[in-house]
Amino acid sequence: MLNADLEVDARGLNCPLPILRAKKGINSLASGQVMKVVATDPGSVKDLEVFCRQTGNEMLETSQHDGEYHFNIRKG
Amino acid sequence: MTKRLKASERRATILAVAKVLFSDKGYHGVSVDEIATRLGVSPAILYRHFPSKEVLYEAVLNEIACKRESYVGVVVDSDGSFDDVLRKITRIYIDSVSRDPDYLRMELHSALEGSDATRQFFENRWKPFTDYIEFSLGEMLARKSIAPVEPRVAALAFQGMLREALYAKCIYRSSRYVDMPLPELCELLVDMFLQSIGYGATPCVDTTDATARSD
Repeated sequence: MLNADLEVDARGLNCPLPILRAKKGINSLASGQVMKVVATDPGSVKDLEVFCRQTGNEMLETSQHDGEYHFNIRKG
Repeated sequence: MTKRLKASERRATILAVAKVLFSDKGYHGVSVDEIATRLGVSPAILYRHFPSKEVLYEAVLNEIACKRESYVGVVVDSDGSFDDVLRKITRIYIDSVSRDPDYLRMELHSALEGSDATRQFFENRWKPFTDYIEFSLGEMLARKSIAPVEPRVAALAFQGMLREALYAKCIYRSSRYVDMPLPELCELLVDMFLQSIGYGATPCVDTTDATARSD
C-alpha cells in the first residue's frame, strides 16, 4: 500500500466538489508526491480519471471499500 | 427497400426520433412500439440498442445535456473560487441546454407527469448546482465570509432563476428579453445572486447601488 503525502476527504460531496478538493490538494504538492482522495460519490471514479487525464497527473490505483472510493494520484 | 444502417447510425437515428417524441409527448406519452413504428423497425431492433424505454430516455438526455466530463474540465480551468466555478458550470450548462430546447420540453413534461424515474434524471442534472451552492455557502457561513443566508433556499433560488431564464429565452421566446442574449442574461443573474448572498468578490456590472459585503 502506498503512503500518501496528502489525504483529501471528499466523502459526502458530489460533483464538482471532489474535483475542486482534488485540484486544491494536488496544487499543494510537489511533482512526484502522492495524494490520496477518499470519496463516496460513484461518479467520482470517472470524474477523477478525467481529472488526471486533463491535468497530467497519474492515477496510480483506485479501490472501493464499504461504499467509499479510494484514489492514489501522483502529481505529474 | 430498407437501407441497412451501421449500429452507430441506427443508434443515432433511434435517439433522434425518440427525442422528438419524448419532447412532444413526455416519457409516459410515448411507447416503445410507437418509436419503433416511427423508425420503421421492429421493437426487437430497438431493444437491441436500448434494453428499456428508461435507458433510451436517459440516453436521449445524455445526448443533449452536458456530460460530467465537461464539468471536470471547467473546474480544472477555474481559479477555484466560488464565483468563478459557479459562472463556469452555469455557462456550460446553459450552452448545452440552449442548443436543443427539446431537453427543456422533456423537463417540463417530466414535471407534469410526476414520474419518480424521470424526475430523478432531471434532479441529477441540477445537482452540480444545488450541491455546490449549498455546500459552499455552508462553508462560507461557518467562516462568516457572507451574509446570513439559508444555503438550501439560496440553491433553490439559483436553480429557479436559471431555469426560468432558459424557459423565457428558449421555450417562450419572450419578447421582453429579446435584446439580451442568453449568456448575458445568465451572467447578470449570477451577478445578482452573488450580490444577494453578500459575496464580495464579484464586481457589480449593473448601475444599481450594490452593497456586497465581504469580511
